[in-house]
Amino acid sequence: MQAALLKSIDSVKTLSIVGMCKNAGKTTVLNWLLGRSRDRVLGLTSIGRDGESTDVVTGTEKPGIFVSEGTLIATAKDMLPLSDVTQEIVHTTGIPTPLGEVVLVRARSAGNVQLAGPSITSQLKTVSDLFFSLGAEQSIIDGALGRKSLGARSVAEGVILCTGASYDMRMEKVVSDTANIFRIMNLKRAETVPAESEKPLADTLKETGEALIPGALTDTAVVPLLKNGVLKNVRLVVQDPSKILLSPDTLDKLKIRNVALETVEAAKVLCVTVNPVSAYGWKFDADAFSEAMAAAVNIPVINVKEEAL
Amino acid sequence: MISIGFEDQVKIGLRYILDSLHTSSPFGTERVRKLRFYAPDEREALEAELSCTERAANAIGTLRPLYEKIMLVLCQLKDVRGSLRRLSEGAVLDHVELFEIKGFLLRIADLIPLFDRMNETVQAETIAFTDPTDALNVLDPEGTRSRGFYIPDGATEKLRAIRAEKKRQEARLYAAPDAEKDAIRSERTRVCAEEETEERAIRGTMCGRLLPHVSEMLSDADAAGHLDLLIQKALFAAAYGGVRPEITEGALELRDMVNPELADLLKAKGRAFVPVSIAIDRGATVITGANMGGKSVAMKTIALNVLLFHAGFLVCAGSARLPMLECVRMLFDDAQSMQSGLSGFGSEIVRFNDALKEVENGFSLLLLDELARGTNPDEGALIVQAVTQYLNGLNAISILATHYDGVAEHARFHYQIIGLRDVDPDAIRSELSAVHEDGVAVIARHMNYGLYRVEGKADCPKDALHICRMLSLKPEILERIEREYR
Repeated sequence: MQAALLKSIDSVKTLSIVGMCKNAGKTTVLNWLLGRSRDRVLGLTSIGRDGESTDVVTGTEKPGIFVSEGTLIATAKDMLPLSDVTQEIVHTTGIPTPLGEVVLVRARSAGNVQLAGPSITSQLKTVSDLFFSLGAEQSIIDGALGRKSLGARSVAEGVILCTGASYDMRMEKVVSDTANIFRIMNLKRAETVPAESEKPLADTLKETGEALIPGALTDTAVVPLLKNGVLKNVRLVVQDPSKILLSPDTLDKLKIRNVALETVEAAKVLCVTVNPVSAYGWKFDADAFSEAMAAAVNIPVINVKEEAL
Repeated sequence: MISIGFEDQVKIGLRYILDSLHTSSPFGTERVRKLRFYAPDEREALEAELSCTERAANAIGTLRPLYEKIMLVLCQLKDVRGSLRRLSEGAVLDHVELFEIKGFLLRIADLIPLFDRMNETVQAETIAFTDPTDALNVLDPEGTRSRGFYIPDGATEKLRAIRAEKKRQEARLYAAPDAEKDAIRSERTRVCAEEETEERAIRGTMCGRLLPHVSEMLSDADAAGHLDLLIQKALFAAAYGGVRPEITEGALELRDMVNPELADLLKAKGRAFVPVSIAIDRGATVITGANMGGKSVAMKTIALNVLLFHAGFLVCAGSARLPMLECVRMLFDDAQSMQSGLSGFGSEIVRFNDALKEVENGFSLLLLDELARGTNPDEGALIVQAVTQYLNGLNAISILATHYDGVAEHARFHYQIIGLRDVDPDAIRSELSAVHEDGVAVIARHMNYGLYRVEGKADCPKDALHICRMLSLKPEILERIEREYR
């Protein structure tokens, strides 16, 4: 793996791993991260429940999460008996989950852990802060699927985006959808944030040429403004990428009209990992998949099945 | 035993005070939620509580920083009583529960020296903590006193051997080629299972050794709650000028008492609460006055301070002499009366009967605000006169607010709202013509809500006539009224 990428992974204090689908290779990436920095203290948690040894959806064998001695883990109390590390309970957070309160454990031996962390981003931030106060050098958040994990980016500086053949049988679709998510997640960070305005979006844009979108940015709001020509050479700022609910087509049109789409708080996508093997039985050509993915994004693409990882 | 419903707590301003307390621990919060009133046979305990609240309040100038430190420790206390109960039922507690108990004991250990320093001044003899060292040694055999909970390798020789083997397997796992890893993993899984079994046995032993300390820990939790509330009582007294009441056999005397909720409310409007004084005893006391709110306020303030006293608070007054009571009951005019389906008057009589039943069980305080106000004045006056006469014979201090004539002469004590007694109507009239303000507001500003004792026979004050004059009622009508009065 490229030295530059390793450096960028090490440089972020909080890192979240986001999967496009199940069996995208998230856990493989996580285990690799945990294995390569055995001499550093890492904090590890997840959004919600993850880390079963058998995938409950597909029934395929999944790799367990294996941590080294000294790792800090934030997980729900009911998950503790399912982990085989020697445990030191260091903190109880008061954060409730369906599986009990989130508890901070220091692994006093290496071993397998089961993660079920907080499901609210502000709580993830609390947990990360606790990790750092207990001496962790980096906090890693294992993201679940879908939008929820996009939200986690407000607490993570860096993101690793995992995709794979399990997402869809058509390689083109996997590549284009992943590229679309990447595009949204990697929007430019706004240097200045426009003032909030009570006026209709069209008026604000006509007056100032820029606008802060208070909630989500949807096709329903954007398409009419594209049609009547208001959206041209202007700047739209959203709070974070999870607020962008636009179709790839609309995103393209905004680009053609020279509309700058920016975020107030943005994580940096560090790399995309690909898993050419699907849990459902099909398989892509590894090189073709990696190349197609690399052509669609301007950051490193790594095959999780490769030896190098 | 005094018990007081939520509605009444709100009405007299007790809830306001309880809501303003910032207890730090779950145990202190529970004490506020289930506020306990001392019964007459607990006089010594109440005396002790009041004395130490007084000392804690008096020392606030020097001890406030210490109180804050104590509160900081208290707010870290978690409620471990559920685990302690499971422990005494013979359950083997898990890692997290043992962690919480260890945390509890560590915080009690932090609390003790702070409490000892506070106690040099406050001498809270009813609060005591047990030295948690023995219990802590069970959970922290190596004496690290770290915040975390961990079963150390040296807990048993067997565990030490298992953990060493586990480490060895892990080292093998990192070094071995992939083909051998599965075999090492299953070997390791076996060791992990052994570790779990041994740890469980050790936790079982720990729980057995903790068992003798359960009652101490429960009593420490209780003491922490007591200390928590004591500090809040002291802070409350400092904020509202509390005074320690002298306990009497029957006399109820409150000089310059204040109702904090109303005082704060008036303060926000740039006005001040007029302190109220009263000195009464067993039998019926009648408070009369014009219909502008002063009577209810006086009664609510009396009820509030009597209840604060029974809960071991200093009372909001210049000085106080109060008896210990079996029961406090109050009937204030409110919307509740509509719920029972009876007319306002009917339901009032039902509630009055219920209250009487309780009041007749022991020395009590009964407060009746405008009884029988919902019926016609002639009949109402007769009813209230009869009630007053009856209440004179009860082993109770009864206070009736009324504006019916002819009631006060049957009462043992008669108080009147000062109202507009000392105000010159002409002065108000000229003020009214000078400022273009709501006339009612101007009069309210001049109204004196204080009480004065009426000796001998006296009827209700004729404030209504005063008010008519001040508001310049049509002279033809005014003349007629004045003629009737003469």
